[in-house]
Amino acid sequence: MTTTTMTTKPFAGFLFLGLALSLSAQTPPDLTGVYYAIMRLPPGVVPPAPSAGAPAGPQPKPRASAPLADGSQGRGPNAASLTPEYMAKWEVIRKSRMAGSAEYDNSAKCLPPGMPSMMVMFYGMEVMQNKDKITMFSELNDALRRVYLDGRKPSQKVLDDPTYAGYSTGHWEGDTLIVDTVALHPDSYIEGFSPHSDQMRVQERIRFREPGLLEDRVTVTDPKALTKPWETVYSYRKAGPGRDELREFACPEGLTDAK
Amino acid sequence: MRTSVLLTTIAAALFMATPALPHHSNVAFEVNKIITLTGEVTEFRWVNPHTWVGLNVDDGKGGKVLWSIEGRAPGVLLRAGWSRTSIKSGDTITIDFSPAKDGSKTGLIARVTKADGTILANAPPAEQ
Repeated sequence: MTTTTMTTKPFAGFLFLGLALSLSAQTPPDLTGVYYAIMRLPPGVVPPAPSAGAPAGPQPKPRASAPLADGSQGRGPNAASLTPEYMAKWEVIRKSRMAGSAEYDNSAKCLPPGMPSMMVMFYGMEVMQNKDKITMFSELNDALRRVYLDGRKPSQKVLDDPTYAGYSTGHWEGDTLIVDTVALHPDSYIEGFSPHSDQMRVQERIRFREPGLLEDRVTVTDPKALTKPWETVYSYRKAGPGRDELREFACPEGLTDAK
Repeated sequence: MRTSVLLTTIAAALFMATPALPHHSNVAFEVNKIITLTGEVTEFRWVNPHTWVGLNVDDGKGGKVLWSIEGRAPGVLLRAGWSRTSIKSGDTITIDFSPAKDGSKTGLIARVTKADGTILANAPPAEQ
């Protein structure tokens, strides 16, 4: 018995070391945490006052309350390349928004932002991860998406039932999470308020560009709405202590006040 | 005593202007235009999707005009240093805000300055 133990121990130890090395090479990064999107303040929006203790000085008067996003600024340099049919839809939405109507403002109606707009994560994101599933939560409108990593594929039933977040499956390629999202509800936007069809597909490559700095490289295809794939990169900073809790959004809470 | 309190309450309710309701969509406002008003807070609603402040402002003719001015969501304002009790009824505050496109007595808050000079910004420090 003693002899057996003595002979298997080195072997077991060697095996364990080999297994550990092989696992460390394959273990995907842990994305768990709270993140805030890295975005520049829009022109005219004055950054907040310096924190207590900083020398006080006169604060410049703000020149804007929010980014201009009603369409009066035209299409941005990174706007999706829409087909004439969807450009015409965009013009209808633009006219409505410029007139001040919330008719096409899903967020104001407490609807989820939908993919891929959701990944702007304007108010912060929380990522929950295990071996088989990654869940991403958006504080804005309490929206949720799930990325299945266990090899399942969307069934016909899922494909016939589009949703705002769509149906996401993914896998790891080294340190990069590859995600494919389909079954997307056409009542949401690619970016800004560029419309899309129910044939839109969103592909993502998510990885830590550096420790604590997460990036999501997004490619959107849509044979009906887009003349070419739309690409963007969203970046997020992992929140440290004191900023690592998101707040409940409970959008309908104030709807009774709205008009 | 009780009757007089009741009558006073009814009288106050009758003479109190009904606040304009918030819009909940930024497209309702001229976001690149800022006007500034100082007045007395009648109500501070710490609710999603937008907070809002009732502000009673002198009309310059001996009367008052009641404004309902929208702020951002509680979550983002918490990170910008606000709390549920940052503004209270009866406080005198100054609001820099964007007016509504439809000319109603509503707006979108860019900044609040309290009577003691405290500034409440509408965004947390930007991520770099």
